[in-house]
Formats: sequence, structure tokens, C-alpha cells
Amino acid sequence: MPSPDAALEIQKIANDPVPIRVRASGAWTFSGLKAQREQLARRLAELKNQPVDRVAWDLAGMADLDDAGAVWLAHALRGAQRVEVAPRHREMLKQVSEGMLVQRDVAGFDPLAGVVWTGQTAADSVVHLRDGISLLGQLALDIAGMLRRPREIPLRELSAGVFRAGVTALPVTMLVGFLVGIVLTYLSALQLKRYGADLLVINIVGVGVLRELGPMLASIIAAGRSGSAITAQLGVMRVTEEVEALSVMGISVTARLVLPRVLALALALPLVSFCTDIAALAGAMLVTHFTLGISPGAFIQALPQAVEVTHFWIGIGKSVAFGFAVAFVACHYGLRVLPNTDSLAVGVTRSVVAAITCVIILDAIFAVMLRNVG
Amino acid sequence: MAHGAPVPDEQYVIEIENLVNTVGANTILHRDLNLKVRRDEVLSLVGGSGSGKTQLVRVILGLKRPAAGRVRVFGVSWDDPSAKKVRDARRRMGMLFQNGALYSALTVYDNIAFPLRERGGLSEEEIRGVVHTKLAQVELDPSHGKLLPANLSGGMVKRVSLARALALSPDLLILDEPTAGLDPDRSEGFVRLIKRLREDHRFAMLMVTHDLETLFELTDRVAVLADQHIIACDTLEAVRGMDHKFVQNFFGGDRGRRALQHG
Repeated sequence: MPSPDAALEIQKIANDPVPIRVRASGAWTFSGLKAQREQLARRLAELKNQPVDRVAWDLAGMADLDDAGAVWLAHALRGAQRVEVAPRHREMLKQVSEGMLVQRDVAGFDPLAGVVWTGQTAADSVVHLRDGISLLGQLALDIAGMLRRPREIPLRELSAGVFRAGVTALPVTMLVGFLVGIVLTYLSALQLKRYGADLLVINIVGVGVLRELGPMLASIIAAGRSGSAITAQLGVMRVTEEVEALSVMGISVTARLVLPRVLALALALPLVSFCTDIAALAGAMLVTHFTLGISPGAFIQALPQAVEVTHFWIGIGKSVAFGFAVAFVACHYGLRVLPNTDSLAVGVTRSVVAAITCVIILDAIFAVMLRNVG
Repeated sequence: MAHGAPVPDEQYVIEIENLVNTVGANTILHRDLNLKVRRDEVLSLVGGSGSGKTQLVRVILGLKRPAAGRVRVFGVSWDDPSAKKVRDARRRMGMLFQNGALYSALTVYDNIAFPLRERGGLSEEEIRGVVHTKLAQVELDPSHGKLLPANLSGGMVKRVSLARALALSPDLLILDEPTAGLDPDRSEGFVRLIKRLREDHRFAMLMVTHDLETLFELTDRVAVLADQHIIACDTLEAVRGMDHKFVQNFFGGDRGRRALQHG
């Protein structure tokens, strides 16, 4: 049989040293308070305004009391002198009253907070950079060690990584490449047609796709797809202390976890980039056929004459560097994840953003360095 | 507590009837499993490794759908069409997971406040009062509220998890291996804490445990899960006398004798 809802009976006695008598009954629980919530809150607030020596509380009639009810009562009872309560509820009321006395920490205004934040952020960035450099150094040492002892090359992990980052990424990268090829060619053809320079579209699209767009598209998709997966995987391994377990067993974390992923993406990305190039050029071929009347055969014949093979090799070479950079950044952020889910989410987001930024910076550097090539 | 006396149906907080539970496509884990947990009792579930204790708890919690049979908690089945009934039943129970299952991105304070905020109906100041009460009840200092779960020791994780499980003043507390991973001293302290909280708040308890000392300290009745169903559900004394290989090994081995001496 459920207890009746919480109720408060207030009796006023004239000419009495304690003129207000309050009697609580029913279930002072979260569900018992629901029905009369507002009315009870109002009456308790009124009683709180009375001088404490003028109110006598009789809480012995309460059928039930939980934390929610105790919080309400403890608030009203603060400082009360005359309280009658059943022994089974006394301890809970006492605990809740003590709990409510704990002061909330309110951070005051700190005029130097901005300076502290700037300093802290700068210091964190330095630590970040230092960790990145040390990971890169360790990776170089591991690669050197692996070249000295070829039997230690993690072939199984490498082939699994190439499959995951390469083969499974092909449908999406090729689709994107094909669509970008169509858009780029269509827009270029519209402009070139005006000047009667229709055939130049093959030069523009050929160089653009093979040297820039193919590797960039493949890298950006790899950063979002493989990079986030690497960060999440290593991050979860950090959360579950699997990374620490490797270190304790004397196994190099970089050799076991970072190296296979970095090498796999550095190997897979040129292949993905090559397939993206083909898809984008197929899109271009389709558009030139329908808009400029250049047949696929003529397009294929004109392409090697219009575009030097150097552009293709530059694109493939850049893809290797981009793959290395994406996987390296992803591993770096993955290994920095703290053992909580929030840090994991932040790590994955930052990893993807940093990897894409890194790819664009590298591309700019390559563009300047190779400006006279091809 | 009067053991073995007939109890009307509304006195049961958990009712499982003819449960069939499977793992994967064809493997039957539980068959014709029946179990009832009474209001105000502590029932311990024991069974060998792989007997499906945790899977049974998952079914009770509504985290796993049974292949057949009926599971009701506070008289409500988890597939009840009334979402309110299901939600109300859920809010009447607390769960202490084996590894704490604290939200790693939230502080201790926010972990305990989480169910209170989700339920609504209390102001932030009232929630603060309840959270500090719960911290005090599990013998933690208010200053621990600022810590993240990653900064807590194993014993503290258990205490915070217990505080969170009790945040909504549940009528039923389910504990999965409450003392797993604790050293004997901490384990003893944690069992004492659970015992005291139960005495104060009188909630029903279903406890999965391998720890015989915990079992002897807290339990009113023991349910033994073996051979795909509950082979016995009775007082410790009655169960210990059973002629079954698992029961004899479990209670009659060296650990059982040691626990009996301490008990």
C-alpha cells in the first residue's frame, strides 16, 4: 500500500511562546512531493522567514523520507530549535543538513587569468611540439633498426594496414575523384570555350588532377577516415591501458603501434591517389565528350602530350609524404589521449583537423620547392 | 527476515519466470530459469564461471532481451508499452557495476548529480545537498567531488559508483561483484559500508559475488545458478547442505571453510 503524498499542517496558537506548530505527514519522497510541490515549497518558504524560536516542528508522523524530501526539510529546518523526528529519519535529516552546509566553490575574478591562460597554452604547445619531435625521432630510429633487421618488419600489420587504409577507401575516394573531375572539367570547359581554347582543358585538368587534386583529395579523405580511426584506436588503447601494458612488457610502442600504421598509410595513399587520378580523369573524359565533343580516344591520346609524366610522379611522391604525415599526426594525437572519453573525442577531432592542416602546409611547401619541375 | 514464508506477489521486486536466454545464434545459456527477489531481502547469485550470472543480470536490467520467458522488475516488464512505467521502474533501481562504470569525462560530483539532473524536479542547490549527502554516506569528503574518475583509487571508484547508484534512493540495488579488485581490508570496509547503508535505507539487494566473506556478511538468501537454471534459492544454511558438485566445491572448499570460520 503506497504512503499518502507529503502534507504539511500548520497550526497557529495565539498567546503561546511557540505560536506556530508544524506537522509533516505522508511520504516526503520525490514521488510523494510531486503532487503538492509548489504549495509545499511556498509554505516551507514562509516558515523559513519566521524566527526559529517561534516554530515547533513535528516530523514524527512522516511515513517515508528520501533524499529529495530531506533536502526540502533540511532547508526549512536550518537553525530550528524544536524538532521532533522519528529515530529512523533523524540520521538522514542530519546527513542531508550537513551536506547542504558544504559551501560551493565559486571561482572569483582573477585579473591575471588571461595571462595565465596564454602562458599555459604556450607551454602546452611547446610540450606538444617536443612530444611530436621525440615521436618522430623514435620513429626514425625504429625504421633504421628495422632496415638493419628486416625480419622485424611487421609485414602482417603492414599488409592489414594497407588493406584497411587503401583498398577499403577506394570506393569513396574514387567516387569523390570522379565527381570533382566532372565539376572541374565542366567549369573549365565553359570558360575556355569562350576563347576558343577548348583543347587546353586537357592540360588544365590533367596537371591539376595528377599534380594537386588527386593527392589532396586522397589525403583529406584519408585524414577523415584512416586518421580518425588510428587516433580513436590508439586513444582507446590508452584508456584501457593497453599502451602501458606494451611498455611494461618492454615492447616499443612506436615500433609496434606507430610504425606499421605510418608505413601502411605512406604505402597505401599513393595507390589510392593513383586510383583517384584515374576516376577524376574518367569524369573529365566524360564531360569533354559531351560538352566539347572530344572523343575518349582523342582525350587519351592528347593527355600524354598535354601533361608531362613528371606531374604524375610529383603527385605520387607527395601522396607518400601526405600519407606519412596523416598517419603520424593521427598516432601522435592518439597517444596523447587521457583516460577519459572527453579527451578521446577532443583527440580525434584535433587529429583530423591537424592532419588536414598539415597536408595543406606540406602541399604549399612542395609547390614552392618544385615550382621549376614539370 | 522470515525466510521461506509465503509472500504475496507484490512483495517481489524481481520476478523471472521460465526464462530462456541464448548467446549467439544457437547456444542456450539459461533454460526454464525461475527466480524471485523479495522486497527488503539481500539475495546473492552464485554460480561457476561461464554459468551466465552477468548475462542474467543484463536481462534483469533490460540490457538484453531474453529468447523466451518473463522478466518483471517492480511488476513491470521491460517491453511494457507504457514508457512511463518502464522509466519509473528503472528509476527505482540502482546498479553497481563491477568496474564502476563512472563517466570518465565527468567529475565525481557530476557523476553523482547526473541521475538527479536527468530525473529533474530538484534545483541545483537541492542536488548539491543530495550529492554531498551521498558523498558523506559513502565516507568520501566533499573535496573528492572535484576529482575525475581517472584520479580515483579502485576503492574510491566503488564508493562513488555506489553513491551514484543510491542517488535516486532506489528500492532495489543490484551489485555485480562489489568487492572485485579490492584488497581484503578495503573489501571488508566496503562490505561494512553496504551493510550500513542497507540498514539505513532498507532497499532490496541482488548481488552477484564470488567472495564468500561478502556472501556470509550480507546475504539473506542464496540463488545457485548451475546447469542452465537456478538449482536452489534458499538460506545459506539450506543451500550449503545441498548435494551438488558446484555447491560442495563452492562452500566446502578451503575458501568456504575459511569464510565460515570468519563468519
